Amino acid sequence: MIEVLVVLGAVPARVAVLTDALAQFRALGVTVRIATTFDPVEKIPAVTGLAEVHQLSTTAQLGPRFGRMVKRANPARRPWLRAQRDPWIRRHAKRADVLVALDAKALHTVWQLAQRHRRADAVHGIAPALQAVRKRSVDPARYRRHRLSTIAPSPTVLTSATRSQTIDLAKRVFDLSTGKRAMKLAPVRWFWHQAVTAPGVPERLRGMAARRVNRSMRRAGHRDSANRLALAAQRRMRSVAAKGQVLGPMVEAELKQGTLPEHLKTVVKGQLQMADGHLKKRRSGQAAEHVVRAFDLMFHRNLHFDGLTSPLAADPAGFLAPLLKSEVGKALATPQGRRTQAEFPPANRPHRMLFFTGINDNFIGPILDRYKATPGVEVRRLNLVEESIRPVLGNGRMRLTRHRLAGSSEHARKVQEAWGADVAWADTIFVDWCNLAAAMLTMIDPGSARVIIRLHSFEAFTWWPHLTDWSRVDDLVFVSEHLRDLALAAVPRLRAPEGPRTHVIANAMDLYRYVLPKPSAEARFTLGLVGLSAVAKDPRWALEVLRELRRRDDRYRLKLIGDELRTSLGPGVARYAAELAADLAELEPAGAVVRTGRTEDVPGALTDVGVILSTSVRESFHCGLVEGAASGAVPVVRDWPFFAGRPHGARTLFPGDWVVSTPAEAAQRILDVTASEETWREAGGAAASHVLGTWDWSVTHKDFDRLVLEPPAGTN
Amino acid sequence: MNKRRPLWDSWKRSRTRRPGSRPHMIYLAIGFPPAAKSSTYRMRATANQFAAAGWDVTVVTIADEAWERDYGLDHTLVAGVDPRVRVVKLPLFREDLETDVRAYTERRALAHNDYLTELREQHLKVFPEPVFGGWRPALEEAVLQLHRERPAELLVTTCVPYVNLAATWKLWETHRVPYVVDFRDGWSVDVINGGEAFTRDSVSGRWETKLLTHAVAIWNVNEPISRWYRERYPDLAHKMRIVRNGYDAASIPAESIPAPADRPLNFGYLGALNLPVPLLDAVLQGWRKARAEDPALTDATFEVRGHIGSGWARGDNRHAELLKAAADDGVVVGGSVPKAEVVDFYTRWDVVVLMVTGGKYMTSGKVYEYMATGLPVVSAHEAEHDASTLLSTYPLWTGAVGLEPDDLAGAFRRAADMARNADVAERDKARVEARQYAREEQLIPAVREVTELVLGVGGPAGTAPGSAAGARVLAREGGS
Repeated sequence: MIEVLVVLGAVPARVAVLTDALAQFRALGVTVRIATTFDPVEKIPAVTGLAEVHQLSTTAQLGPRFGRMVKRANPARRPWLRAQRDPWIRRHAKRADVLVALDAKALHTVWQLAQRHRRADAVHGIAPALQAVRKRSVDPARYRRHRLSTIAPSPTVLTSATRSQTIDLAKRVFDLSTGKRAMKLAPVRWFWHQAVTAPGVPERLRGMAARRVNRSMRRAGHRDSANRLALAAQRRMRSVAAKGQVLGPMVEAELKQGTLPEHLKTVVKGQLQMADGHLKKRRSGQAAEHVVRAFDLMFHRNLHFDGLTSPLAADPAGFLAPLLKSEVGKALATPQGRRTQAEFPPANRPHRMLFFTGINDNFIGPILDRYKATPGVEVRRLNLVEESIRPVLGNGRMRLTRHRLAGSSEHARKVQEAWGADVAWADTIFVDWCNLAAAMLTMIDPGSARVIIRLHSFEAFTWWPHLTDWSRVDDLVFVSEHLRDLALAAVPRLRAPEGPRTHVIANAMDLYRYVLPKPSAEARFTLGLVGLSAVAKDPRWALEVLRELRRRDDRYRLKLIGDELRTSLGPGVARYAAELAADLAELEPAGAVVRTGRTEDVPGALTDVGVILSTSVRESFHCGLVEGAASGAVPVVRDWPFFAGRPHGARTLFPGDWVVSTPAEAAQRILDVTASEETWREAGGAAASHVLGTWDWSVTHKDFDRLVLEPPAGTN
Repeated sequence: MNKRRPLWDSWKRSRTRRPGSRPHMIYLAIGFPPAAKSSTYRMRATANQFAAAGWDVTVVTIADEAWERDYGLDHTLVAGVDPRVRVVKLPLFREDLETDVRAYTERRALAHNDYLTELREQHLKVFPEPVFGGWRPALEEAVLQLHRERPAELLVTTCVPYVNLAATWKLWETHRVPYVVDFRDGWSVDVINGGEAFTRDSVSGRWETKLLTHAVAIWNVNEPISRWYRERYPDLAHKMRIVRNGYDAASIPAESIPAPADRPLNFGYLGALNLPVPLLDAVLQGWRKARAEDPALTDATFEVRGHIGSGWARGDNRHAELLKAAADDGVVVGGSVPKAEVVDFYTRWDVVVLMVTGGKYMTSGKVYEYMATGLPVVSAHEAEHDASTLLSTYPLWTGAVGLEPDDLAGAFRRAADMARNADVAERDKARVEARQYAREEQLIPAVREVTELVLGVGGPAGTAPGSAAGARVLAREGGS
């Protein structure tokens, strides 16, 4: 009787085909045994009744030493390492006439078995297995005679086994001497430092050893030794990718501590170079992993959000140059375009508007309400937190990156399935925030729909604009000129001919709800600051202003409205929060500072505020300030340092007399405008009329109407 | 190459053909019988027609064992090859289709997919064709060797594989042997998705341009592809000719009669199952729906015959899975059918189902055979498809309804109605309509034209060949 041993390295995608083949084997009178790397009862129950099925010994069964060895081994060898230690497969491989690998993951195991049992046929695939069985059935006598060349294992396998055992021994010695325990000993650390920085060591070997020793030193608590080793080793290296890998842990640790790492650029370049290498070999999945790691480093929140500076804001083109110049950067920037141009809806039916909502609707409310109530407009919401939509967004950044690098993906089809009907329905699609949903929308062709995205502020400091296919976006709305400048500098393809039209339209704000009387003249001595939850709001700058004022007049006090800083966000935030707490500990007991915490009634909280401050290092617009000004408080705006000295910033957004450069200047403006109740009320009134006449939704909706209800210039 | 040529060989090369002897032609036809490939019938007929036109034909193809890995063998095809045709089989194999694990290196066993990727990359370095590019040196050497053995006065090359073009060029470059490119489905035109497959300045584009520039004639299988080439190379338009695939009369039953009412209907599909999975899925859904809804289709069967997958994936792919899952709906799956038995299947079937990928540039060879049977035809392809153009005058056609299962179900129902009710006269009319597409009708004028171009008017019996440069070239519109 012919015996067939089938090895499955992965759960078969087509179980029906396998069961059909097993039935054919049975009809031929063949005994089939199947070895799997997974639990067959759970994964392929239909097969268990048709053949003897056996799961290879698992890592848990084979013990911790085997577990460690498997971890070190090439993943493709792992099934064989298990099979080698499995008596069932050894026994049946010896008897088998045909050895079959049903998938690529089983190939190596079957190859190894074939080297040891040379009498058997060894084939890849079901049909070749059936063919081999038929051949044997036709001429069984031929196969009964053992030829000399088939009675013992192949010499190749003997050599290979000796070689792999030697390598395994060497690996174990290396692992022991470079492990965490060994690194606790100063002489060992010294030895490895000398070894990995010695001249003449091949770069690949140096890199591998340096990475391992570096990691072990860190795990052993010897961070300084690890940093010294990384710096010394990278000096001996030529490849940026290798340098980046060695410096990576140090840079990541520095980022976590909230400092700007000196070698950040090298590590980023290294990741991008590795990504370029994979991309060249069309391995977009592996390339994407490195790109995402580079993103995590470049757009780390400690660099841009949790400090008072940002290297991206300071020099967008320079900071992003490694990404933009890399091959992966170019691939991400490749426009896919759209099959048809956006079409303005015909007049004989409603204008269909689709709004992406659900994740952050803070700024979309008035816009939605307006168009829901506009005759001739039909509004539909695509709620991104709905059960049916959420899976599409899952692991979105990685999927998007893979898609953009490969130019196509299975996930795009899923997005098309989930969103396609709504997109096909819409004449205009509005996506507030240029983040995941916006970028994912550009994975699919929007058909004839016009796509409008609004970029507020934080998105400019993230990877999302780099993952968005701007050739599929018709209009990009900013809330201020300086944000437009920053975004255009950071994402050059926004300026490309196939890029979107850009517009600046202020946030939709109902400012009249803030217009309440300020009954007390004493309110002019109360400074207000609305919103404290980010380091970028820099409330300590307000405290400096307060100190300046109180040096001259101790009636001045500061009212802080809003949530406290969340120290869990990172050490940068924690550090700032600690410094703020120390300041407050000095000022609060004297009644100079009052904290209200978060309140739903901001208009009410502003009735006793006479001066409204904007002390931020960056803002896109600062709604809190404008709302304060609408309440009649006199605005005092710090010239936001991220944009100060640029063509656009706080000075071009607001009337010139509102903006100051230093706490001293701020204090002087406050003293001037609050010198008397009359001057204060006059200045507050002027500011209120300015903001109500410029930024209230009753005014700004016209800009929005022009954008969404009128055909864009140059179209019909 | 020339450095190593023995003296006698040089003498043979310079020798002119004796008046009255048959001229020698090399035919690069990888897929020649007994390979069970769809293009094999065209190749066989081409070789036969050239032999009949007075040529001594030497066919260059690859070893039979190579086809066992691929689409298999059909030895019944060999019987139809003109005995004067000599076949040279080169020991070339597709390594990517190797299924003997013992032939693998350990590296390949460990990283099969990486190995295949690298293999393709290596092939691309040799010639811009990922699967066959590596065959270039062997093919070049083979044609040179054949020419040394017996000087050729013509080389006809048929693609795919396109690597044949490299050997064609080699013989032209070294010995100025005139050649015909039987481009069938073309190269720079993407017949599946429509549009351009590569630009003129790409590596493939440069190969195509130089090969076509010097060709004596360029053949394509249909008007849309020929038009593509005429527009891409207007200066070469006069060399373009449409040589449709046509059908083989031996595969067509003697008559077509209505299905008797006392037995269930038999639908059939014949051809390689290398269709896009969504297309097959849509057809099976349409079939299921039609069978469930229309009493005329109760107990009807749909027999699908053809090769599924190749190499390790033979019989183990998504197509196989879909077809197996449709067994309860009367879908019967079988392997490929030997050419000699094709006629039996058409005799047994009441309706034929034309599943074919691509769009306006794609015709498929099967459509001619289907039309010649006089059976009702269900079309399962894009509405804008060259098969639609051909079938538009065929009276027993259900129309090109696209690939929506509901529409396909309607087509199956209409075909069932035709199968029972279309009378013999209507069927005969359909068969007469198709007769213009007999394979010989397509090939004879093309072969005659090439013969005259290369050998001068009068063909092999006339004067010995002069220079190819002096050959008359026909200005053709491309219509056939």
